[in-house]
Amino acid sequence: MVNFTIDQIRGIMDKKSNIRNMSVIAHVDHGKSTLTDSLVSKAGIIAGQKAGEARFTDTRKDEQERCITIKSTAISLYYELEEKDLQFITQLTTGTGFLINLIDSPGHVDFSSEVTAALRVTDGALVVVDCVSGVCVQTETVLRQAIAERIKPVVFMNKMDRALLELQLDKEDLYQTFQRIVENINVIVATYGDEDGPMGNVMVDPSKGTVGFGSGLHGWAFTLMQFAEMYCDKFKIDRGKMMKRLWGDQFFNPKERKWSKNSGAGYVRGFVQFILDPIYKVFDAIMNFKKDDTVKLLEKLSIKLTGDDKDKEGKPLLKVVMRNWLPAGDALLKMITIHLPSPVTAQKYRMELLYEGPHDDEAALGIKNCDPNGPLMMYISKMVPTTDKGRFYAFGRVFSGIVSTGMKARIMGPNYVPGKKEDLYIKPIQRTILMMGRYIEPIPEVPCGNIVGLVGVDQYLVKTGTITTFDGAHNLRVMKFSVSPVVRIAVEAKNPSELPKLVEGLKRLAKSDPMVQCIIEESGEHIIAGAGELHLEICLKDLEEDHACIQIKASDPVVSYRETVTEMSDRMCLAKSPNKHNRLFMRAAPLPDGLAEDIDNDEVTPKQEVKSRARYLAEKYEFDLTEARKIWCFGPEGTGPNLVIDCTKGVQYLSEIKDSVIAGFQWASKEGVLCEENMRGIRFNIHDVTLHADAIHRGGGQIIPTTRRVLYACALTATPRLLEPVYLVEVQCPEVAVGGIYGVLTRRRGHVFEENQVAGTPMFLVKAYLPVMESFGFTADLRSNTGGQAFPQCVFNHWQVLPGDPFDHGSKPFTVVADTRKRKGLKEGVPALENYLDKL
Amino acid sequence: MSTSTAAFSSDWVGVIQRTVEVENSMKTADTELQDKYEICRCIEFIKSGKYQKVALQFPDHLLVDSVAIATELEKNTGAKLFVLGDTSYGSCCVDEIAAQHVNADCIIHFGRSCLSPTRRLPVLYVFGRQEVDIDHCSSVFNKLIEDTSTHLVVMYDVVYSHIISLLEAKLSHIYSNMVISKFKYENNSTEKDNYNGGTEPNLVTDDIQTFTISGRQVSLSPGKQIADYIILYIGGESLTLTNLMMSLNRCTFFTYDPQTRRGQQETLNINKALMRRYYLIEKAKDARVVGIVAGTLGVADYMNGISRVKQLVKKAGKKSYTFVMGKINIAKMANFMEVDVFVLISCPENSLIDSSEFYKPIVTPFEMEIACNQAREWTGDYVTDFRQLLPGGDNFIEMPSDDVSGNLETDVSLITGGIRRMGEEKDDIAVSSSAIVKRDDVLTVSTVHATSAEYLSSRSWQGLEQRLGETSVSQAIEGQKGIASGYANEKSSSKET
Repeated sequence: MVNFTIDQIRGIMDKKSNIRNMSVIAHVDHGKSTLTDSLVSKAGIIAGQKAGEARFTDTRKDEQERCITIKSTAISLYYELEEKDLQFITQLTTGTGFLINLIDSPGHVDFSSEVTAALRVTDGALVVVDCVSGVCVQTETVLRQAIAERIKPVVFMNKMDRALLELQLDKEDLYQTFQRIVENINVIVATYGDEDGPMGNVMVDPSKGTVGFGSGLHGWAFTLMQFAEMYCDKFKIDRGKMMKRLWGDQFFNPKERKWSKNSGAGYVRGFVQFILDPIYKVFDAIMNFKKDDTVKLLEKLSIKLTGDDKDKEGKPLLKVVMRNWLPAGDALLKMITIHLPSPVTAQKYRMELLYEGPHDDEAALGIKNCDPNGPLMMYISKMVPTTDKGRFYAFGRVFSGIVSTGMKARIMGPNYVPGKKEDLYIKPIQRTILMMGRYIEPIPEVPCGNIVGLVGVDQYLVKTGTITTFDGAHNLRVMKFSVSPVVRIAVEAKNPSELPKLVEGLKRLAKSDPMVQCIIEESGEHIIAGAGELHLEICLKDLEEDHACIQIKASDPVVSYRETVTEMSDRMCLAKSPNKHNRLFMRAAPLPDGLAEDIDNDEVTPKQEVKSRARYLAEKYEFDLTEARKIWCFGPEGTGPNLVIDCTKGVQYLSEIKDSVIAGFQWASKEGVLCEENMRGIRFNIHDVTLHADAIHRGGGQIIPTTRRVLYACALTATPRLLEPVYLVEVQCPEVAVGGIYGVLTRRRGHVFEENQVAGTPMFLVKAYLPVMESFGFTADLRSNTGGQAFPQCVFNHWQVLPGDPFDHGSKPFTVVADTRKRKGLKEGVPALENYLDKL
Repeated sequence: MSTSTAAFSSDWVGVIQRTVEVENSMKTADTELQDKYEICRCIEFIKSGKYQKVALQFPDHLLVDSVAIATELEKNTGAKLFVLGDTSYGSCCVDEIAAQHVNADCIIHFGRSCLSPTRRLPVLYVFGRQEVDIDHCSSVFNKLIEDTSTHLVVMYDVVYSHIISLLEAKLSHIYSNMVISKFKYENNSTEKDNYNGGTEPNLVTDDIQTFTISGRQVSLSPGKQIADYIILYIGGESLTLTNLMMSLNRCTFFTYDPQTRRGQQETLNINKALMRRYYLIEKAKDARVVGIVAGTLGVADYMNGISRVKQLVKKAGKKSYTFVMGKINIAKMANFMEVDVFVLISCPENSLIDSSEFYKPIVTPFEMEIACNQAREWTGDYVTDFRQLLPGGDNFIEMPSDDVSGNLETDVSLITGGIRRMGEEKDDIAVSSSAIVKRDDVLTVSTVHATSAEYLSSRSWQGLEQRLGETSVSQAIEGQKGIASGYANEKSSSKET
């Protein structure tokens, strides 16, 4: 990259069919950042021999120290594809030069919001899988997200060096391992994607070259294409056919020089014979210090060692040899350029997912055609802190038009509604910049299909937003995260007079992380809510060191709860308005299982067309069709998983109080009766209403507080319960440690629902559900009980009823309710039903 | 008077936080009347001012004695006496407006008072007297505070004002650095402090700095701040105490309650209370429509207070509406759904509304100041008296000049997590988006001006629908009769329920 001037880069940006926007995604510790380094080294930004050690994309100090990626980082690469390889590209290309915008993302579940942000601005994903541990929970999560966002995956089997050196796997076993991983991945792809979908078939297949193998740490990699190229002359068949021979049940008899579909005596699998065998030989020769063999092999592979490298032996020599023989950069960049879609290709099928507006307006067409002459449509997916304190680069992708320095644009936040002014700002863009790892370069303008940073829009957006020049533009759809901020801590400044700094710091923190929530609770406490303990730890550290720069006291982590009901209200609840002239008769009932989740996942939304939603509810959840058509609203926030349903018949003026009832419902569902936590999974049925004949006596003032009271009464009479968040825990460990895991989980109210051996390895995979409340200190506990051999990954999975009656002294929910009320400064004890229920 | 205020406020009086001790509402024996209500002082006041029409204001729990007192006074002075049946706002404030309805020349205010200054009429405060066991009191304080050189300020509930000079004599022997707070009445219409016997403040000499809070004046030693003092408070838990503790939140408070004869360090977590207010400030910052509620018509400068808040709100780019609604209650406040936050301009003791029952939060003018005036920061200090925020007041801070605040600034809200606007915005948006819009996308009303119109357009019910041609024509029939709170034909039915 250093070899280019900005003008040259700008030139390349115009060739939109030769751009590849891609993210590197994987489970934690599967080697994304290390692998990315070998790509960066190929692009020439850091010296070749440092690849595998530098973790170039880990720009933060703590990332380097902990060896864990926390923030996703973008870099641009340039790759010249050889003429002969161009034939493999099925989409349109112009010339051999390719601009690759690569985003390295974190693998730890706690940071998966960063992955989501990365996926949004890219069209393809390099899924890295550790071939020793196989497909893990986070591999599945990110892959699922990628498919849902219509991101095409290619796979890289990493850590082959470990498979060879540590596990000493037999060649055929190694092939079986690879085969299994490919199958596992394709199962996920098939589950969440549709073969006939708009992306086409996105299953990965080594024989097509969409799967790479190698070792990011040692800097070598290959796809079947590399080997096919080596052998195709020998067998006098073209490369494509050769590739097919190198995977699957294709067996070769070296003596008879014949291929067969069945393995028989003398027949060896193509992959083993032509790929693994040479690699094993090199490993064997070098690692067992067979000097003569080594020299012979090097000659055969025509690898020439220079200078210091000649004196090396053992592992260092192995690295050098492998890197020279099968350079990782080449193999990967080829795979990326050939198999991942260009913006032109991708935006055709991604538009309908990306754009909220009508699919035939100017903006939609601009995106669909990736048209630089269309109106500007750009999505900001995250904010990247600048060296200037408190300021951020807005990082995102141009989908249509051209964004240029100084242009006036409409900056629209996630709450923008076309035609309204809320969350809309019209401001000039101060500067456009290229972001490359640790460096930034100013650039005058950037056309569609590229990833870019903007200066000067950060103060109008919190985390994400849409930037456009088209007045009628709707928003680009907001991202849906796979994790929820269920763990929270309260923070305060050690020195109370530094409160303003803390507040400023929290605001910055809110911007810098795609998912973290910084809020002030009614009690005046400052709360940071995140995905898990590690996430919060990092947030706290950032807050203390970068954003607020003051010393901070943090409370112990607490969990947020939800309030629900488990039965139908045992009586018809009545509340009278303050003037006694209006009466509301309602009942609460639990929503059928799964509906709350459907609402969370936007399967059922307030925006849907009423009739089709009603049909869906009637079919899937056995709703009464007429009732399902009379859903007044969702709540809290107008979108939450609680419903108000009008079950009345022929009530006069009912439509007039609808707004007031909705307002009361939003209020009550946001602050439930037990401890003012959100409600979840409740339907409130309005059975009858009597209203004062005179409009002035049934105004908001009469109806809103009354609605809240009747809803509280409904909840209290419908066997209210607390819901707690539950993690899905995945632990990988050797067999000896499994017993320890069970012990720890049982003590923490967890239960194991799946346990099996990872085929081909001595590792066991244990899956369990664990209440988030019990998860604090779980990792440390687990390590100490398994001799440090078990590493859990926890990801929020679902809400479950906290067993016990919240009114029963001494029960768990009772304590939780009491604690929460105390923390929020509410009156002790849940208010009695009499406060809310009126008598006829 | 009483009927007019009853129409003003419904029977939901309990909503305003009042610590009215209902058990006190026993009728006082005639013999005690003289002493308890200082009838002599009242008579002297009326006679010396030659007042012809005198309004008597009682808090609800003292109303039982009102007739007896009025008769007594009328007999002795010959003036025409009026008992104000129901105060429009808090009973601690002098209700001048109600008094003006009968063209009264002066008011005699009975019971606990917030000592807010008044403007229009001469006022005599009769606090009522409560006995204090001075020896016990001083010995309790002695036990609580052993260091006799501590700097102390003694404050007290108004009902104990009559014994304070005795107490001062007693305590000043023990504590060398003790000062006693004095009541300071500001009443521009009458000669100051002439009638308010018992606790006349000494003339304040220039070299001693004085500190005034809630109508109480304290002379501080040179070089000392009020925060350096420990406060001794005589009286039970009340709005006055809460108010003092909020304002002087850096001082330690010790209280002695003569009723229970108990002394203690106040542990009421004032920090928690402050933090809750802090949350409301965030809410106020988020608000786009602000309702300014006149919670007093008696406190001096309330009009200036309202216009100051109006100005602030406007500068902050928010829209404001002013409401006069008598005593506030939940139902009244919830009638204005488009309002995001209310500011209550009222006497210090009635300003702090800490109830989550209200649909939208109610903040004090000070909180609105912090939310809107960018020159002001939350430091943990708290001002309950809006008059101190006005130009000339102790806590007045000028708003940043126009060229700074005229720009639209943005900020991250810590409530919604979204971006909020601060400062007035230029009209760059309206120009570009509302010129011509397709009708089915956008309701034209909504772009004219944000706020209420936008709110109305988002409602599902926007008023009576005409349904031209759909409704059949019918003959007009006779409707209901009477007033809305109970029509003639409803009287019986409402009784049944």
